[in-house]
Amino acid sequence: MSLQNPDGDLDPADEASVVAQRDPDELAELLGDAVIGREEHLNAPGFVIRPDAVQDVLSTLKEAAGYDHLSVVTAQEYENRYESIYHLKKFADPTQEVSVVVPADKEDPVSQSAEPVFRTADWHEREAYDLVGIEYDDHPDLRRILLPETWQGHPMSMDYDKDQPQVVSLREHANPLQADHREDESDTMFINIGPHHPATHGVLHLKTTLDGEQVADVESDIGYLHRSEEQMAQSGTYRHQIMPYPDRWDYISAGLLNEWAYARAAEDLADIDVPEYAQVIRTMGAELCRIAAHMLAVATFALDINGDFTATFMYAINDREQAQSILEDLTGQRMMFNYFRLGGVVWDLPEPREEFFEKTRAFLDQLPGSVEEYHDLLTANEILQMRTIDTGILPPEVAKDYGATGPVVRGSGVDYDLRRDDPYGYYDELDWDVITEDGCDNYSRLLVRLQEVEESAKIIEQCIDLLEDWPEEDRTIQSNVPRTLKPEDDTEIYRAVEGAKGELGVYIRADGTDKPARFKIRSPCFSNLQTLPEMANGEYVPDMVAALGSLDIVLGEVDR
Amino acid sequence: MAAGSLLDVAPAQLFPEQVTNALGLPGVIGEAVGALIAAFLVGNIMLAFTGVAGPWAKRKITAAFTDRIAVDRIGPFGLLIIPAAAVQLLAKELIIPEGADRPSYDLAPLVLPASAMLGFSVIPMGQLGPLNLQLADPEVGFALTFAFASIASISLVMAGYASNNKYSLLGGLRAVAQNLAYEIPLIVTAMSVVIFTGSLRTSEIVAAQQQALFTVAGVTVPSWFAIVNPFAFGLFVVANLAEIGRNPFDIPEAPTEIVAGYQTEYSSSYFVLFYLGEFLHIFLGGAILTLAFLGGASGPGPASIGFVWFVVKVWAFFLFTQWCRSALPRVRIDQLIEIGWKGMLVLSFANLILTAVLVGVIAS
Repeated sequence: MSLQNPDGDLDPADEASVVAQRDPDELAELLGDAVIGREEHLNAPGFVIRPDAVQDVLSTLKEAAGYDHLSVVTAQEYENRYESIYHLKKFADPTQEVSVVVPADKEDPVSQSAEPVFRTADWHEREAYDLVGIEYDDHPDLRRILLPETWQGHPMSMDYDKDQPQVVSLREHANPLQADHREDESDTMFINIGPHHPATHGVLHLKTTLDGEQVADVESDIGYLHRSEEQMAQSGTYRHQIMPYPDRWDYISAGLLNEWAYARAAEDLADIDVPEYAQVIRTMGAELCRIAAHMLAVATFALDINGDFTATFMYAINDREQAQSILEDLTGQRMMFNYFRLGGVVWDLPEPREEFFEKTRAFLDQLPGSVEEYHDLLTANEILQMRTIDTGILPPEVAKDYGATGPVVRGSGVDYDLRRDDPYGYYDELDWDVITEDGCDNYSRLLVRLQEVEESAKIIEQCIDLLEDWPEEDRTIQSNVPRTLKPEDDTEIYRAVEGAKGELGVYIRADGTDKPARFKIRSPCFSNLQTLPEMANGEYVPDMVAALGSLDIVLGEVDR
Repeated sequence: MAAGSLLDVAPAQLFPEQVTNALGLPGVIGEAVGALIAAFLVGNIMLAFTGVAGPWAKRKITAAFTDRIAVDRIGPFGLLIIPAAAVQLLAKELIIPEGADRPSYDLAPLVLPASAMLGFSVIPMGQLGPLNLQLADPEVGFALTFAFASIASISLVMAGYASNNKYSLLGGLRAVAQNLAYEIPLIVTAMSVVIFTGSLRTSEIVAAQQQALFTVAGVTVPSWFAIVNPFAFGLFVVANLAEIGRNPFDIPEAPTEIVAGYQTEYSSSYFVLFYLGEFLHIFLGGAILTLAFLGGASGPGPASIGFVWFVVKVWAFFLFTQWCRSALPRVRIDQLIEIGWKGMLVLSFANLILTAVLVGVIAS
């Protein structure tokens, strides 16, 4: 859509104004009488708008003000109303945020769908409908997404009866083998790929229609790993009970990155400082996690392209294991770290420190050699190039429209990395680069990951240098945080960090108690996975598998 | 031209005759019994190869490529995994899908190993002491090996179709497309060997490769066709990899794409038979390669240890297929067909014509 017309109707002056910071009043003026109220979220100004003006408001903000990134849609129920919040940002500058708040009637919660403006709203609104129960007018396909079609009630709404039995006879479930998938006249073949299939990297179900070997249509069926992570976080206290959960979102080695997403949101919400020393440790740990996660991504991508006896898989697992071992020394755990605390980290580096530094340095020293080996085995291999270059194309405009982030969008040439664009931790003090590739194909996404590993190694090296010279008396690992945290009533915040897969965000609404009233997770994999049909339709089955592999999804994070 | 040299490397008697004579069996029935015993022995050699390769050697080799240790818990070097795996695989429940098309569902796992076993009947495996391990040496022996090896694709189609599973069907279709694309270059390349020897008799093809090609620093290089015509050798190796369906051409199975292709629905003993058949086909591929390009069962030392050289060469090819598996990505089915029809076919005909011209020029 916008691919053919990349901002074509804006003159250069307008383009500058699109990136420029806008005053909230100016924005309100731009939106005119659609705005019926104002709110102040900690991260952004909020505009309460008429439920029937969602498309107008969002397209004005997107086209005239440059808010081209719909991060997430948060839905929630209040005593007197339902509410959907569209968290908007700019790819060019993610610190410019705006929240569009759409109230809906308590008895008949309906508001207009944002899907025609942002394709990514499709799944986000389906999730809101599924879990909270808001209906979206004009939505092309408003069905449940995480829960089974037969589920009774909306579990995150207030009047939901938890004790209601959800037993549904098998007969009432959609049967994937039902007769209507066998059309006599049709030339296509319907095939279920997954939920148990070697290529789906977890319990993902792809309802695929094949025309010979080519993919005519593919639809992802997710939710097999839905564990009510948001609900669980809402019933835990800020101080200690929530932190273990993020480890279970992107559960494959990226634990510290996830923990940081919660820590960042909660610390900003409760106005907690983090000592610099702890920030350096956090940065180092997070980048170790990123290396481990990217290694696994490369390993499984090699499985998808090379087949299940490939040596690359074991080599990458080997390298990941070393990162894992360092993380184990640091946190005491191999995967479910639970290492961050609000206001710092739980303990200092392991003693003897010299040994830890030595081990980490040894890992960093051999890493360039390993990466070189992956380039030899994968990116320099002609067969792999034949398979991955120009397959699984994701044009930058389409990627943005779907809210794709992380290596996926950077592989499409969009220069978007929250570590640099919306700095947190110690990143802005360190010397490293954001990697982008312009190929928009499976190959570019692989290249981005391999190069990011090297950038992460650079960051870790600098952190190690800093930590080594840190004076002993200044090693504060946690600031003073009250035993019970009760952020002010009715404060709302959305904060994101650059996870292994992209923008991992957390929205929290406080209600004056020690538990969040609403805890919403913005999963990068959820948005990234939405792009699969764009990349797969018309391609061969093996290329769809490669595209899926290059998205590097983790179902624990998609389904939460 | 090869008849004279044949006598230098091999005794005139083939293995079945040797068995018949050794046991003193009289008449036609005696010959038949002797032939059966000989075939039984040779068949068992091949099955023993497979038995070692499947549960043990393949794991060890792959592990070596991937920095692992693999089976080492039971027996010396983990060798007892072989009987353990046999018991385990045979003890599993045989599950047959509801909509399976029988009897072709049951026949497919038999056809695959059977075709490979038949292929070995005309392969000269060299001498082991006084024994001449070749079952038959018909005039069209070389053509027969390809004929037998090609039956494998029928088995794959049968399995793919009869399983009543969409992944199996895709795998079966891929198998046909792949075999069509590669059988022709394979055979056309093999024909260039026949031009050299002027005979389809397998023993003569081996014999033709025994003369010295040249001598460098005291080392005599034999006129193996791999050395005489390395281009044809390269083509043949690639086509052979596709024929036996190993990386980068393991498309009919392609785990991570179509689960396990044609053998998705097979379990227990049927699965073992497929596994067995695939390994036998790798060894048959290695045997054909050895026969046509690597001087058959010849090597340094007396002719009576020829079988050892044969085994070494066949296993070297097996090792090569495993190396490819560990290192190479898989091509896509449309790319494979393109390589087969647009690249290999043209090259193999070019090779054939060039060889014919060269042989003609030299002969005149």
